[in-house]
Formats: sequence, structure tokens, C-alpha cells
Amino acid sequence: MLSVENLKVVYRGVILALDGVSLEVGEGEAVALLGPNGAGKSSLVRAIAGLLPKFEGRVLDGRVRLFGQEATHLDPVGISRLGLTAILEGRPLFRYLTPVENLMAAGHRLPPKALKEGMEEVFARFPRLYERRHEQAGYLSGGEQQMLLLGMALLTRPRLLVVDEPSLGLAPKLVEEVMQTLAALRREKGLSLLLVEQNARAALGVVDRVYVLERGRVVFEGSAKEATEDQDVMEFYLGKEEVGFRQARRYRRRKRWV
Amino acid sequence: MADLLPYLIGGLANGALYGLLALGFVLVFRATSVVNFAIGEFLLVGAYLTYTFALLLPLPLAILAALPLAFLFGVLVERGFVRPLLGRNVVAVIMATVGLAAALDGGVQLLWGPDLKYLPGSLPDLGFEAGGVYVSSRAVWNLLLALPLGLGLLWLLRKSRYGILVRAISEREVAALALGIPTARILAGVWGLSALLATLAGALLAVASGVGYNLVFFGLKVFPVAILGGLDAVGGALVAGFLLGVLEALSQRYLEAYLPGFTEALPFVVVLLVLLVRPYGLFGERQIERV
Repeated sequence: MLSVENLKVVYRGVILALDGVSLEVGEGEAVALLGPNGAGKSSLVRAIAGLLPKFEGRVLDGRVRLFGQEATHLDPVGISRLGLTAILEGRPLFRYLTPVENLMAAGHRLPPKALKEGMEEVFARFPRLYERRHEQAGYLSGGEQQMLLLGMALLTRPRLLVVDEPSLGLAPKLVEEVMQTLAALRREKGLSLLLVEQNARAALGVVDRVYVLERGRVVFEGSAKEATEDQDVMEFYLGKEEVGFRQARRYRRRKRWV
Repeated sequence: MADLLPYLIGGLANGALYGLLALGFVLVFRATSVVNFAIGEFLLVGAYLTYTFALLLPLPLAILAALPLAFLFGVLVERGFVRPLLGRNVVAVIMATVGLAAALDGGVQLLWGPDLKYLPGSLPDLGFEAGGVYVSSRAVWNLLLALPLGLGLLWLLRKSRYGILVRAISEREVAALALGIPTARILAGVWGLSALLATLAGALLAVASGVGYNLVFFGLKVFPVAILGGLDAVGGALVAGFLLGVLEALSQRYLEAYLPGFTEALPFVVVLLVLLVRPYGLFGERQIERV
């Protein structure tokens, strides 16, 4: 479905953000991409969505295939047509538009009737949004904004949904709610999911497989179960207490020859 | 009082054209953050296009024929000058429009010559007299075209799907792209629309006072009008256009005797005074900030 092979991304020609990342998301699969700040998670999202040029970045090497098609240098509109929707980090909704207008913008490809039905479905799923449907979206709470974003993503009719840090700035209870919604969407719509998170504990509950990214490289790859059993991943992301001093080190020592 | 009315009507007629021109200018600014310094030249090119068509066709048809061509011209400007600079500092694009303005100034004079030209033919006379006040055909035409067009566009921008997309793109282009909205095509349409509005204003101006290089100076008025209305307020542009048109007329009537030439400066003085009180302009939007 999505396959990224040996992807290298640079910003402004010199800042190497991804250094040979390979990653797969299968049909109907949910995959988490974990990693600390600055690991390159968002760069990967931008590369997949074709948005790197907007951030003065470009793909140096490697390739991205989407639904069996070459998509490395495809523009965002083409990628969206193929069936991938990325919700970028930082709540990228239109703050001066109302929720209704946000949904209309997101559903721009749908014919009027399908758009109307789609909006009704979103409002049925998120009743709070319906109550505030004519207020400016910038004044919604963080949780409501996240729900609106998910609703908008739904109206683009994606086959693969990429979500960048949906938990950022939300209270734990809301994080749980967002994760549950993602899991439900995946079940009901048969969506594939690539969930990019710093909050590993929240993400691990809803995914099948996990990649851990650090300094632009994949340093761990395995099932969600393996990730919870892996001591390094656990201690680094879930803050297991027993390790003491080792917390300070990077969690996987690379074999070195020098 | 009775002698005031003709001035007011003349002011409204001028204001309608200011409003049209500023509407296109503000639309482009809102959607792309580009201050189009070539807006006066858009008007100039539009007027000359109308003139050229008017040599072959009856005037109303000539205006109608010039509009789609003007739209195309706007799209080409976007493709040629704005799109290649996308992603760069917005100042780069603004400077490109300054260069474009200079090139168009020269190009127009090269192509059509420097002398003032008058349109052959005229629009049907719609002037009438009501209660002893004569309303000129020019005023009727200007208002008849500018008001419905301006209000219609405002309505489209607020309510139509296309308008919502324009507003979405103007707020967050990257987010719009991520949703697969074809931003490039829509922005090109906005430039086209801006050129079309400028051309209509240019054509109406040409009908009244001929076509010549001096039309650019009319285009300059778009800056005080747009700033007065609020650079990002499309409706404000229309209102501010009428407001300045009327103020100019009043100044012509009452102040010109004491302060000769003051009318020329008036729009800028008004802008200065308004900005002191309302820095976003009369109708500028307040920014939403999370704190």
C-alpha cells in the first residue's frame, strides 16, 4: 500500500533530515512511527504527502510507492487523488472558517449530495462539532479541533490516513478518545493508518506494527507486542523506572569499529 | 444642498470604479499575500484591450470581449511572474510586480502609442433626471455594473464552494494542499478575476474619459482604498471605494476653493487618520491567537 525505500531528505540542500528510511504500511494495517523530537518523523510525513517543496526540502535519494504507483515526486494533489490523506502536525485546520466550511473545503472533490451526507456522518460521529458548527474553528477547543481534522480527513475519502502527532497538547483523556476514534475509523472504513507519535503509550494501543525513528534512521522495527517487550523501546518511551543511569544513553548502542 | 447632489452622484460613480479595482486587488492580497503593484497597469491594459475591440465591435460587445481576455492575462501573469517565485519570500513576488508594472507601462505605449485615444461609439444613454437632479449615464452604468458584480462576488466568496476554497487557501496554503485542494489552479483563477475586475473598471473609465497612459494614476488610488477598507477585507474594499469617491467629490465641492489640489491628497490623508484609530483598516479582520 505504502512503501518507502531508503528515503533520504534534505532541507535547504544541507540539513539531512532522513538518512535512508524504509517503511511499509500494508492494506488495512495500522502502523505507528515513534521517535523523539527532531527524529525526522514529520519530514517523512511531508515527503509521503508530497509537501517537502513547501518546506524548502527535497527527496535526495530513495523512493515512495503508493498503492503500487511511483509517488516520490508526485505533487500533493496527485497524491491525494491516489487516496492518501495526511493530517500534518500543529492542527492544520482553517481557523477563520467555521467547522461546516472546513468540512466543505476538505470535501472539495465530492459531488454536493455526497458532501452533504459525508458532513452529516461527521456531525453524527462528533456531536460537539455539530453544536459549534457555525463558530470560527479557531475558537474550538484542542480536542474539538482534532475531531474536526479527523472529520475533514474522512471527507477526502482516504484509503491511507497519515496522522502526525494527534495527541500533542491534549489532556490524557482526550488522547485516549482520539486514539479510540482512529481505531474505530480503521475498523469501519477499512482504512490503513500511519500514526506518527511521540506518545508511544497511546499509540501502541491501536497499531499492529511499530517503527522507531531516531536521527533520520529506523532503529527499531517490529510488531506492537515486540515493541512493548523490547527493553530499549520501553525504557526510552514508556519511562520504565528500573533502569536508572541508562536512561541517559540513546536506547540502542550501535556496533562501532572505531 | 441641491447643488451638492450632482457632486455626490459623481463621487459614487467614481467610487464604484475604485471599489471594483480594489476588490480585485484585495482578493489577490488575501489569497496570496502579494501586493500587486501592477494593478494600475491591469486597468491600463484592460482599457486598451477594450479600445482595440471597440474598433471592430459595438462598444458593449467590445467590453464583453475584453473581459475573458483580461482573465487570461491575469492567469498568465500568475503563471509567469508569481508561480515561479512561489515559496520564496513574498517580497520577491511584490518586486516582480513592480517590474511587471514598468514593463507593461512601456509595452502599452509601444503597442498603442502615447497619445490619448477616444473610444468609437458609446454605451446606451441611461442618464435621467429626477427631481431636478440630472444623473449622468456614466454614473448609472458604473453603479449598475459595479454594485451587483461586487456584491455577487462577495456572496460567492462567503457562500460558494469555490469561495470557501479561496478563503481556505488564503489562510493556510499547506493545509489546503494536504487536503488535495488544487491551490495553483484556484490562485490562478483569483489573479484572472482580479485582472477582469480591473479591466471592467478600465473600460468604464475609458468610456468616460478616453484611453491614455494617465489611467495608471487612477489605478494608484487603489492603495488608499484597499488600505482604508482593510487589506484583507474584500467587502471593505467596495465600501471604502464608495467612501473615498464621495469624500473626493465633497472635497472638490467645498475644499478645492481654499486648498487647490487638496483633493488629490485627500485619500491618503483619510487613510492616515483612519489607520491611527483602526490599524487593520475599517473592516480588517482581527487575528485569532491562541495564548
